Amino acid sequence: MNIAVCVCSVPDTASVVGYLDGAIDYSRVNMVINPFDEYALEEALRFKERVEGSVVTVFSFAPDSAKEVLRKALAMGADRAVRVSCSEDALQPSDPFLTALGLSRAISGFYGAILPDLVFCGKQSTDFQSAQVPSMLAELLGMASVSGITSLHPSGEFLRVEREIEGGIEAIDVTFPAVLSAEKGLNEPRNTSIRGVMEARKKTIDLFQVSLLEEPFVVLSGVEPLERKKICCFVPDEHELLRILSHDCNLL
Amino acid sequence: MKKFLVFLEQREGIVKQSSLSAWNRVQELAALDGNSVVAGILAGPVDTGQLDGAMAGDGVIYHAGEDGLGVYNQERYTRVVADTFTREACTDLFFADTVMARDMAPRLSVRIQASLLSGRTTLDGDDGVSRRVYSGSFQASFVPTRQPRMYILSSSAPVPAFPDGGRINFIDIEPQQWTVEDLFPIVRRIIMGEGPPDVAEARIVVAGGRGMGSAEGFALIEQLASLLGGAVGASRTAVDSGWRSHAEQIGQTGKTVAPALYFACGISGAVQHLAGIGSAGVVVAINSDRDAPIFDAADYGLVGDVHIVLPKLIDLVKEFLKKQ
Repeated sequence: MNIAVCVCSVPDTASVVGYLDGAIDYSRVNMVINPFDEYALEEALRFKERVEGSVVTVFSFAPDSAKEVLRKALAMGADRAVRVSCSEDALQPSDPFLTALGLSRAISGFYGAILPDLVFCGKQSTDFQSAQVPSMLAELLGMASVSGITSLHPSGEFLRVEREIEGGIEAIDVTFPAVLSAEKGLNEPRNTSIRGVMEARKKTIDLFQVSLLEEPFVVLSGVEPLERKKICCFVPDEHELLRILSHDCNLL
Repeated sequence: MKKFLVFLEQREGIVKQSSLSAWNRVQELAALDGNSVVAGILAGPVDTGQLDGAMAGDGVIYHAGEDGLGVYNQERYTRVVADTFTREACTDLFFADTVMARDMAPRLSVRIQASLLSGRTTLDGDDGVSRRVYSGSFQASFVPTRQPRMYILSSSAPVPAFPDGGRINFIDIEPQQWTVEDLFPIVRRIIMGEGPPDVAEARIVVAGGRGMGSAEGFALIEQLASLLGGAVGASRTAVDSGWRSHAEQIGQTGKTVAPALYFACGISGAVQHLAGIGSAGVVVAINSDRDAPIFDAADYGLVGDVHIVLPKLIDLVKEFLKKQ
């Protein structure tokens, strides 16, 4: 069974993303694998451990500087890693369509006529949080998809998955091939072992060049830093708090 | 002239309130525009009588009422919406921000080659969308490059005052020929939770963090939430410690909430958590550490141990509610 996993790199949640000359400043940012992609990769690795002969290949549509993310994926146990790049320098992480298109071309090109049985993605990246790439990728590859899964159990020719909906849980059966996007709670990603890290260093990261001449669907026209600080009014006790909320704010 | 199409989501035959709000907001946009019409697409068998007087303005609703669309099915729904959008020469497609919309809209946008923007809050005729990115550190503006356009409306934006119920005409869409391939993924079962409202939709959220100390400590959070008719929320620490389920997590890897009133109890206020409450109305923080960053994100603060403050507050709220 062939399993593809799509990962991207995002700023570490602990690092401070700066602002310089009207643009986002990444110079003080530590880039890590997108947390939701880590759940996706973990689920792919668990699948591989259940089904003998499975091969997990990780794809990242990213500049050369983001290769560490693929290295980390190899250290966790992925068999192969592919960095997808485009000659037109059209890499636009803010446009989910071009990202999905680049990934779909890389996956189709890499596997040829027989597409992978499963494609795992994180449900969204933590930077732009569009949550659009997985379903777009599925449409481009002609596959079914389920977004934001929190559990997965193979059952014969089906995969039984669950996801949270408003006020409940939806249990869904899906057949192969499919694109599944991972929500937090799906699993607990493994730590990388020293041996895994050493072996990952020896593995090569393949480069797959795609041609992207299409226009983006969405363009990022500007960013502005947000001042989040509020002026906190400290109240002396619970009586005063309740009086403010009920009387002044009329919220209760 | 523009023709706006609103996706009206139903579950178990009931059209969702969030979809009706979306319809009303789009009606307001059409009124501003002056020269636009509003239509709806409703998939699944629904007693349309429930919509009498619940929808503002005039419009047509295309109703694909066949049984095979009773439960959400990604491919069938995508096709019904795409066909209607194209057949009726619509220009813009709107969704309320729901799990179903997030599952279907990206696929639809590729199929009808439309720019898709999520998080649209203002319906002021501006085609672009401005929303928070990078854990709420930045406000980013996005511009669509294509015609047609699709929007997922932010759930936190206000719904306009309800004008008189309009004239809604229903047009039935004929049942289609579906193949087995269109069936998957198929929803096998829906397990609805009972009782408390969903944290993402609640008007009041009472959230607890590391300071609650244990799963049992959340009894105080539950009590206050239930008294106020609100939902329980949790910080990442509380979820990762196994005290609460992920469905309740608020923040970067959890939900983004926009309640009118938010209580942060024993939550230090890490950037990841604040990412989820940027659109909340009044934020109340209760924490024993006066220097905790949560107070910089709060409107009102009470310094004290949650295990002492919350029981007192619960008693006072009980008294207060009795008097009402």
